[in-house]
Amino acid sequence: MSELKFAAAVDLIACRTCGLVSRRLRTLSEGRCKRCASAVYARLPRSSEKTLAWLLAGLLLYVPANVLPVIYTSRVGGGEPSTILGGIVGFWQAGAWDIAALIFLASVVVPATKFLALGLLLWTTRQGSDWRRPERARLYRLLEIVGYWSMLDVVVVALTTALLQFKTFGMAEPRAGIVFFCAVVVTTMIAAMSFDPRRIWDGPVSDG
Amino acid sequence: MNSLSSLVICPHCDTVHRAVSLASGDIACCVRCNAVLARYHRIEANQVLALAVAAAILFVVASVTPVLSIELGGLQTQANVWTSALSMERGWISAAALVLAATTFLIPMLQIGLLLWLLSFAQVRRRAPGFTGALVALHWLRPWSMTEVFLLGTLVALVKLSSWVSIAPGVGMWALAGLTILLAILSQCESRSWWTFAQSLES
Repeated sequence: MSELKFAAAVDLIACRTCGLVSRRLRTLSEGRCKRCASAVYARLPRSSEKTLAWLLAGLLLYVPANVLPVIYTSRVGGGEPSTILGGIVGFWQAGAWDIAALIFLASVVVPATKFLALGLLLWTTRQGSDWRRPERARLYRLLEIVGYWSMLDVVVVALTTALLQFKTFGMAEPRAGIVFFCAVVVTTMIAAMSFDPRRIWDGPVSDG
Repeated sequence: MNSLSSLVICPHCDTVHRAVSLASGDIACCVRCNAVLARYHRIEANQVLALAVAAAILFVVASVTPVLSIELGGLQTQANVWTSALSMERGWISAAALVLAATTFLIPMLQIGLLLWLLSFAQVRRRAPGFTGALVALHWLRPWSMTEVFLLGTLVALVKLSSWVSIAPGVGMWALAGLTILLAILSQCESRSWWTFAQSLES
């Protein structure tokens, strides 16, 4: 097995969209893919800054997403607004611990993991750190896979409001929190997409 | 220039590999970061077309039949993918309705439509008009397609509401379950090998 080479080191460049390998022009770091016409970059331009910006936006939106109620449910004898955490507690108290765990995973653990993991990836790549590169690469791929499952709560709120339309007997309405929560999912997904995983491998290697 | 086509560059770590031929069921992984580079499936284009047609049928069924229906005091309501998104249309909360409609309805529909378009032309050994744009669109749409999340959401809603109303899954839920499986298989087939497959077709 010959020594592993990075494309950037041997003047090759790959299209992120279609995978076509091209020879890189020495003076330019970008161009258009001959096959699919997508912009081709050795590394996505300003990816750290973009990722950080989207991540911070997501973090800010995460506050109203959790503080504000996401749904208002009324039954005979009164109604109550409910937040995401309130909903989880409700399931737990009703004995549906499995559903409580599922929503907790999708609505709390997944977004929190995204903030922490992307923050860690950003920080270590800025340092050009050599620390646990294969594990960090795997962490990024995990983020790509689990990211969109946070949309679960938005689906549940939508289905509940679509079904509970019985005026006096039972009624459900969406509340502002769900918009913020939806925005958190979208911004953190864009943050993850803005990150260029190839940067994990940039920088010095200590063990050769 | 020909030597370049025998190279594969890992999109995750930029490592250069020489392409190897795969047997059915093989998965090629990056030597450095272990990301999946290619999968070989012995699925022919016409079989993929059959899957896409099946997905289109299930999509239509899931869109016109109820996914869930509930009964309370002699009254009945139903919901599916489209009506769920519509139910959130309320002032500026409609922004969430828009995202939901896009990710669980419009984007899966677009994906199936684009696949049908590409594959029906491939069936007669022709490259579909707009081939490049369609493949690029499929690449960008994929992370935003959330049919499986909607399916899990219906199961959660089913359990959530069953404690105080009588709720039942409808035909739409089974269609949605089938659609989720088909879209997962299709997304495995739709890969970078499409680009090389495309070059073998007449334009």
